[in-house]
Amino acid sequence: MDDVIKYLPNLLTATWETLYIVSFALLIGGFFGLILGLVLYVTRPGNILENRVIFAILNIIVNIFRPIPFLIFLVALQPLTRIVIGTGNGNTAMVFTMSMAAMFGISRIVEQNLLTVSPGVIEAARSVGASRLRVIFTVILSEALGPLILGYTFVLVAIVDMSALAGTIAGGGLGTFALEYGYRAFNDPVTIAALVAVIILVQIIQFLGNWLARKVLRR
Amino acid sequence: MALVSLTDVTKTYPDPSNRKKQIAAIDGVSLDIQAGEIYGIIGYSGAGKSTLVRLINALESATSGSILVDGAEVTTMREGQLRKLRLGVGMIFQQFNLFNSKSVRANIAYPLKVAGVPRAERIRRVNELLAFVGLTEKARSFPDQLSGGQKQRVGIARALATSPRILLADEATSALDPETTHEVLGLLKKVNQELGITIIVITHEMDVIQQIATRVAVMENGRVIEDGEVYSVFSNPQHAATRRFVSTVVRGIPAGDELAVLRQRHPGRIFTVSILDGDTGQSRVFEILTRAGLSFELIYGGINDIQGRTFGHLTIAVTGADAAIESAFAEISALTEIVEAR
Repeated sequence: MDDVIKYLPNLLTATWETLYIVSFALLIGGFFGLILGLVLYVTRPGNILENRVIFAILNIIVNIFRPIPFLIFLVALQPLTRIVIGTGNGNTAMVFTMSMAAMFGISRIVEQNLLTVSPGVIEAARSVGASRLRVIFTVILSEALGPLILGYTFVLVAIVDMSALAGTIAGGGLGTFALEYGYRAFNDPVTIAALVAVIILVQIIQFLGNWLARKVLRR
Repeated sequence: MALVSLTDVTKTYPDPSNRKKQIAAIDGVSLDIQAGEIYGIIGYSGAGKSTLVRLINALESATSGSILVDGAEVTTMREGQLRKLRLGVGMIFQQFNLFNSKSVRANIAYPLKVAGVPRAERIRRVNELLAFVGLTEKARSFPDQLSGGQKQRVGIARALATSPRILLADEATSALDPETTHEVLGLLKKVNQELGITIIVITHEMDVIQQIATRVAVMENGRVIEDGEVYSVFSNPQHAATRRFVSTVVRGIPAGDELAVLRQRHPGRIFTVSILDGDTGQSRVFEILTRAGLSFELIYGGINDIQGRTFGHLTIAVTGADAAIESAFAEISALTEIVEAR
């Protein structure tokens, strides 16, 4: 228990690092994932901006990158990370790698949630003279907003998971903390402290996501 | 000139199972719809009526033919012109298709936003529409808090927001119970009479046509097989499909099993007399039969009303001397159509 108190400042720093990596990865990966998912959805055959070529290309790219295990993705992406960020090490480098991985995962979640919007509602908006872009931004996205929030919550928890792994390879955060001060020092209380911190973090994310989705869905 | 005029319109799709083959959803349809009328298009599902109505506001594009709406050719319009056209053509749907994430007020305001109507004017117009469809209290509700009939009334208010000249109703009452159907049809009649909006009603229910349409087209396999005034089409149906629709609201001439059952229960010869509006004196028919010393009873049939005009069929079983029956038959034939069941 003394060790837990001794390492408390490190634990707090690690928690802070995890929050940093996770929130930036969510922001950046979430934004580009939304765009990628939206383009996949609108260009899908039969949809509002149907374009078989664009859809097929993006579909293949997502299918190739999304299922790659994150650890392999992370190390394979190192050269690109060095070009873009200037270094392959550290939390900012991890934000880049995780944003890329999150983007592919999120694009599918976005696409699937948008597919639940009833075609009749889109037709109704078209029938009053709304342009295609207006329908996308004022009808499709707002009709799917509730499920999208739940999808993002799900992804956010997965990003916390990724962050622990990424940290152990080339950054900080709770994963590194648990590994260095707990596991390698055979210090179980410290490992458990990291565990508790991450459980609290994930629970807060879940709660906020569910609360927001309920508010949007009015249920 | 007709408000909506279709000439030789076709719409073909590639066959999903064989992309080289084309399937004709609409196969050479010509129709004229006059300003101010309620025009019914009736047909079974798959007859092409939903596709046909979507050609009018260009949600679907025609493969060939000409579609004039208010004098303008729709088939050659660009996207921007189509959007302007659609502001003048409202549409309501079987599944209502309301925006579930928006309140009733925001649903009705949506077309006005699209049309670029300023906020103050938008609020005034939405209030007016809410009052017109009787939903002022529900302005802040969301669609999932409304009943089916209320949802369709929101749909109607939304379709009318930009003051269109034409309203397309695609199976607008098919998801509603009979009482609510009646209520929504009443509202559509009000839209037609008070606002002078031309309504094109797509349905597979004869009831709907009978209650509100002035003229009707019957569709089968992508073609219009009969059209004209509702009364003349349904009092004198030419095609089997039309006869089936008519038989859902009024019993016609018995045939098959029904006739066999009637024969078992009733002695004598069986005749069916057509009852048409005004000129058919029912009393004359019965007078002739009585005078000829024949005994008869009514065994089957029905009389209905389309736009205040009577029509129907009465089937009678007649017993008596054959000669007397023949002469009475001849006399009645001069009055109205009478056929003997064989």
